[in-house]
Amino acid sequence: MQGFSDGGADLGQLQTTMRNIEVACTSIQMHINPAAAEATILSLSQSPQPYTACRFILENSQVPNARFQAAAAIRDAAIREWSSLSTEERRSLISFCLCFVMQHASSPEGYVLAKVSSVAAQLMKRGWLDFTEAEKETFFYQVNQAILGAHGIDVQFIGVNFLESLVSEFSPSTSSAMGLPREFHEQCRTSLELNYLKMFYCWARDAALSVTNKIIEPNAVIPEVKVCTAALRLMLQILNWEFRNDTTSMKAGIDVFSAGVRHDNGSSKRSECVLVQPGPAWFDVLISSGHVSWLLGLYAALRQKFSREGYWIDCPIAVSARKLIVQLCSLTGTIFPSDNGKMQENHLLQLLSGILQWIDPPDVVSKAIEEGKSESEMLDGCRALLSIATATTPFVFDQLLKAIRPCGTLSLLSTLMCEVVKVLMTNNTDEETWSWEARDILLDTWTILLVPTDGSGGDALLPPEGKHAAANLFSMIVESELKVASASVTNDDGDSDYLQASISAMDERLSSYALIARAAIDVTIPLLTRLFSERFARLHQGRGIIDPTETLEELYSLLLITGHVLADEGEGETPLVPTAIQTHFADIAEAEKHPVVVLSGSIIRFAEQSMDPEVRATVFSPRLMEAVIWFLARWSHTYLMPLEETNCLSNDYQQHQSMNSKKALLSFFGEHNQGQVVLDIIVRISVMTLVSYPGEKDLQGLTCHHLLHTLVRRKTICYQLVSLESWRNLANAFTNEKSLFLLSSANQRSLAQTLVLSASGLRNSETANQYVKGLMAHMTTYLVELSNRSDLKSVAHQPDIIMSVSCLLERLRGAVSAAGPRRQRAMYEIGISVMNPVLHLLEVYKDESAVVYLLLKFIVDWVDGQISYLESRETAAVIDFCMRLLQLYSSHNIGKISISLSSTLLSEAKTEKYKDLRALLQLLSSLCSKDLVDFSSDSVEAAGINISQVVFFGLHIVTPLISLELLKYPKLCHDYFSLLSHILEVYPETLAQLNSEAFVHIIGTLDFGLHHQDLEVVDMCLGALKALAAYNYREICAGKTGLVSAGLGNLPEGIFSRFLRSLLQLLLFEDYSPDLVSAAADALLPLILCEQGLYQKLGNELIERQTNPALKSRLANALHSLTSSNHLSSRLDRVNYQRFRKNLNSFLVEVRGFLRTI
Amino acid sequence: MSDEEHHFESKADAGASKTYPQQAGTIRKNGYIVIKNRPCKVVEVSTSKTGKHGHAKCHFVAIDIFTAKKLEDIVPSSHNCDVPHVNRTDYQLIDISEDGFVSLLTDSGDTKDDLKLPTDESLLKQIKDGFAEGKDLVVSVMSAMGEEQICALKDIGPK
Repeated sequence: MQGFSDGGADLGQLQTTMRNIEVACTSIQMHINPAAAEATILSLSQSPQPYTACRFILENSQVPNARFQAAAAIRDAAIREWSSLSTEERRSLISFCLCFVMQHASSPEGYVLAKVSSVAAQLMKRGWLDFTEAEKETFFYQVNQAILGAHGIDVQFIGVNFLESLVSEFSPSTSSAMGLPREFHEQCRTSLELNYLKMFYCWARDAALSVTNKIIEPNAVIPEVKVCTAALRLMLQILNWEFRNDTTSMKAGIDVFSAGVRHDNGSSKRSECVLVQPGPAWFDVLISSGHVSWLLGLYAALRQKFSREGYWIDCPIAVSARKLIVQLCSLTGTIFPSDNGKMQENHLLQLLSGILQWIDPPDVVSKAIEEGKSESEMLDGCRALLSIATATTPFVFDQLLKAIRPCGTLSLLSTLMCEVVKVLMTNNTDEETWSWEARDILLDTWTILLVPTDGSGGDALLPPEGKHAAANLFSMIVESELKVASASVTNDDGDSDYLQASISAMDERLSSYALIARAAIDVTIPLLTRLFSERFARLHQGRGIIDPTETLEELYSLLLITGHVLADEGEGETPLVPTAIQTHFADIAEAEKHPVVVLSGSIIRFAEQSMDPEVRATVFSPRLMEAVIWFLARWSHTYLMPLEETNCLSNDYQQHQSMNSKKALLSFFGEHNQGQVVLDIIVRISVMTLVSYPGEKDLQGLTCHHLLHTLVRRKTICYQLVSLESWRNLANAFTNEKSLFLLSSANQRSLAQTLVLSASGLRNSETANQYVKGLMAHMTTYLVELSNRSDLKSVAHQPDIIMSVSCLLERLRGAVSAAGPRRQRAMYEIGISVMNPVLHLLEVYKDESAVVYLLLKFIVDWVDGQISYLESRETAAVIDFCMRLLQLYSSHNIGKISISLSSTLLSEAKTEKYKDLRALLQLLSSLCSKDLVDFSSDSVEAAGINISQVVFFGLHIVTPLISLELLKYPKLCHDYFSLLSHILEVYPETLAQLNSEAFVHIIGTLDFGLHHQDLEVVDMCLGALKALAAYNYREICAGKTGLVSAGLGNLPEGIFSRFLRSLLQLLLFEDYSPDLVSAAADALLPLILCEQGLYQKLGNELIERQTNPALKSRLANALHSLTSSNHLSSRLDRVNYQRFRKNLNSFLVEVRGFLRTI
Repeated sequence: MSDEEHHFESKADAGASKTYPQQAGTIRKNGYIVIKNRPCKVVEVSTSKTGKHGHAKCHFVAIDIFTAKKLEDIVPSSHNCDVPHVNRTDYQLIDISEDGFVSLLTDSGDTKDDLKLPTDESLLKQIKDGFAEGKDLVVSVMSAMGEEQICALKDIGPK
């Protein structure tokens, strides 16, 4: 290949090179043979030392793209060859780039300048830790001169631009890769933050200040605006920096990687608003120097000019100024002196009074926007409120405005949002309008203000006026949601996909609504009760006369909102009654009159009406029923027989009165009060949805997965459940009723699981086991009888039989997944009794992939639940069974080719195979776990079982089925390699016992895994390799033969030589993530120790291949220090591994750059 | 087309029914279904509602197991669909004749000579190549609703 290296380049050669690159660039643009053109350009950046050529192109070429590519080539080559460049060369490259941009500052091709600027920034970062302070000083002096405006506006702009690139290079999230360890980037970041960032900010500010007066003058647009915009952008970028060295605010033990901790932390994660905490050093720049008033003044002046030519609300300088103002609102932390927040309040008040004109008065602003004014200023105003809310407490937030207005900030927030909601209501379209965005930002603001920051409940902090504002807002929100609901009835089901996608967004919105409602709970609960009763009455009166659909949809919305207001989700924990509800309503002593009881009661009574077939047909549509079930699940998780009911007496410190009302509320639905009645209603409603809504999968799914599951999760409820008549009816229906066999598979499984779980309500394990057996008997009997039928082969493929079998297998799977210590016996016996039927069925249904998968999954789940409890004799039986299963499956599938015309069906067949294999691997993993977790009384070795052999044997059966093709399924690949690396790490000695075919296969897949793109897979393979090589080395050291001699007759060379080669190849010449280097070092060290002779040979070959004598000696030195520096010894202990990691890292930094050039 | 009628018709045909009624909501992906009187394998099921407060309906996308044609159907999920009785039988492959028929050995030792090879070139090649290599091949024959076709082959080791 033609290179472009400089060695003794004369003018003619340079011109040829330039022409070649120009031609290539032009042809790429015109799409003429782009591959060849790309190769030409690539060869420039890959040739050694192309700098003279690149400079020549940059200075002389008339084709801007060629200049762009030349800059890129400088970057690539210099980053690669950095370690071999002399200090002088490094410096001259950077100053060339800097001079170039300054000299060409007025060039119209901005993108070339931006590129050269960013190349300078990247090179400067690459050398950052090597340059002396004086060297850096020289560069920055030049930049500073430019920014001060000494060389004109264009150069000033370029200077600011360069700093922008530099800051973004140094910020970890936007830095470009340099093939260096993370620590390097981290050190650069710290150094810049401590020593330069503030200086850059001042430069940017001064640049902006220097042109402010000209901009404020009543002229049309002038070139200085460009400089000012860039300076504002740079300031914004610097304030976006994740400051970490705010050491004084850093409490001991805080994780240094979680920047932006609010003092009362917890809530900052909910919003995208990042706090700016630059630390006390920034006080003079940002606070005391009148910076804010200058900025506000600048924006106010711009605002005056919006109507004039060249300025408008969205012009770049206005946008940048607003963003900077919003960013300054997030300023917090130790930059403010500790004066009880006085200084910060003043700072925020100053900003707020500037921002006020953007959003106030809300009705005028929103009207103007509806009439065509741009919304961006108003949205930025909302964002500023969000930032202020993030940086303050609700009380301070409210007080801010009171200093200049009669009402507080909360009232303003409420009015503003009401206005937004009004606009949303009037133009109810599916398009995302400004009012959507404004609503979301303002809702976030409320959330930040209201989310409880500690256990005591944030709502208590809201002043009465704020509560009033919240109540107003909530009623406005509900009104708007109801209006949206009734309007949405008319647009048909076309948007169901869209709804699915937005459900999580809606959930978030609803929980924000709930926070607002809880802030004024004594008003909002009665409001909700009234809204419900109005709609119940409307339904009742209009039955059979008016179309109820609109009312149904309104009820649907109300149920969702009320569910969120009354109870929290819990997320796997048992949610408590929300604090706001616990602490309010102190004056209510009688439980029946407690507003929450009234509201809950009215909804439950309404739900109960669904038991009447006639009412059900007219009122309870599947969709409404879904909301009812959802509500009941959420509600009962918090209120039904709550745990605190018993221990709330001990909370003496609470006020007597409020405790009374709290107790009344908690005990009302407790087990000794109305709890049982309500539970019975809920169970009867659940059974009804399963039986009377045939084919409504979503509804039944909610009932099974959500409602019933919630019920059996709590012990107190289980005690009651097992004694309920209605629950026994459900269990009966489950075993006998035809209609329950029609549930979808997932619901089938979940129902079985739920019923088994309810056994925990039985007092002793004997009755529990009896109960489980009673539940399951019908399944096992059917399967045993079916598998014993003489005509099994002919009847098995009838669709009705297939359906029954699938259904029962799903139920079995569900039941065994609910295994627990108390029910373990029953589950074990169930499994044992169907062992033979399972093998029979696997034989008969070998072509019915859906059934095969179910069979496998059932066994996987069963073994997983049982294995750790089994005694050695039982373990032996289970292992024997599993091996028979594996062999049978393998004999059916090995060498089988599906033939079909349809590519879809073929790929489906492949997917099915993948799922089967994944299940089998899971089975093996479960067996593996017996060695780790074992609750049995005797050890497995007692029965002569060697788990490692069993698993290897299993793997031996399974691996031939796993083709490299199938390993492209990420999950299968992951499972396979985690199992493989686990057993190779734990039982390396067993590998030697495999026959050569299996051995070659395993080694082949390991090699495949090493070159996989998934980081984790490579990591696991390296782990396996390390274990194997380390084991081998230790064996050899102990004078044994090791792995080399065993079963390897077919391989041309030992496995370790092979892996040594491929690992070195990977490390030196291929692309990989820097995160892998440590794991690779751990694998490489034992490999080198195992194959020292080969390693020497490979090293010599590498050295021989280098033609350049300088590089040759560098490589030789690097190779030498790889194995000798840092006192590396030939032991495999922790210290030695650590040393080798360090050595490898510096080795790679040293040589990879030039080894990879052509 | 009423489900009842169809079921009756198929029952009268051969003593064993060719199709069975099954509630649409219980038919799953990878199951079988009859659409437009063709036996199909379901590759996609989705449910939706008729109107916001209406009942659920299932939307099936399925592939004809013999012709590989894609067919679709929408059925209220509480209604019944027909599900074909799909049988698979394994035979040892004895011979491939010039006129495109195969000769198969049944379990009882008889031969079955009425099955035509697939017409698609690549499928044909897979079978012919395997046979030409002298491998011992077992073919799976899938039959449903009066049609049959080779659906898989398996090498049970060299002779």
